[in-house]
Amino acid sequence: MSHQEKNISASLVSFSLILVYYLIRMLGMLPIAELESSKLFRLWGIVILLGIVGTIIASIFTHIIAAIVHAIQTGEEDPKIDDTEDERDKLIDLRGTRVTYIVSSLGVALSMLAFVLGQPALVMFSLLIFFGLIAQVIGDISRLVLYRRGF
Amino acid sequence: MGKSQISNNIRKLRFLNDEMTQQQLAEKVGVTRQTIIAMEQEKYSPSLELAFRISLVFGVSLDEVFSYDPENTA
Repeated sequence: MSHQEKNISASLVSFSLILVYYLIRMLGMLPIAELESSKLFRLWGIVILLGIVGTIIASIFTHIIAAIVHAIQTGEEDPKIDDTEDERDKLIDLRGTRVTYIVSSLGVALSMLAFVLGQPALVMFSLLIFFGLIAQVIGDISRLVLYRRGF
Repeated sequence: MGKSQISNNIRKLRFLNDEMTQQQLAEKVGVTRQTIIAMEQEKYSPSLELAFRISLVFGVSLDEVFSYDPENTA
């Protein structure tokens, strides 16, 4: 498994955990009558912050674990992690980003549709962040699939 | 994903060049070993720049490393 694959796996785990946290908090706010804007926007803030901090921590954690494993395997005191990003990595990242954009665009359309069909605005906002997280997870999975298949 | 319309002799050329390893070739052309593996399995077609770098490492012309077969649909 290359360094990029490890980073993507860490991001996938991190965003899956945030998605689970979001779903638990959202289910706690059901039924819709209990959905208050102050609670929902606070949850928005928490999820966005977790997304940023989680990605950074996952990246650092991956680097540290990779260095420890490399040091144990090779016995080197100053292990060098090969984190070269070449043209194939960039193409895979672009394809993954495209999948993320497609899923999040569909999510935005579905959220708007829910609003048009008479659901409260807060339901639309809940769906927006839900599809944002799902899009990130699906994008990461597609990147991993591309790495496993070769391209 | 199917095989590319571009085939290559990278594996053969590596062995003809003192059994160069995939890692050594990857370091010489500035990519990861996984990219060399994907190219050898013809799952990934390199950019023109990378193709030239590979042919320079082996000291041969581009068409001795890569060939294009329009019949082989991807």
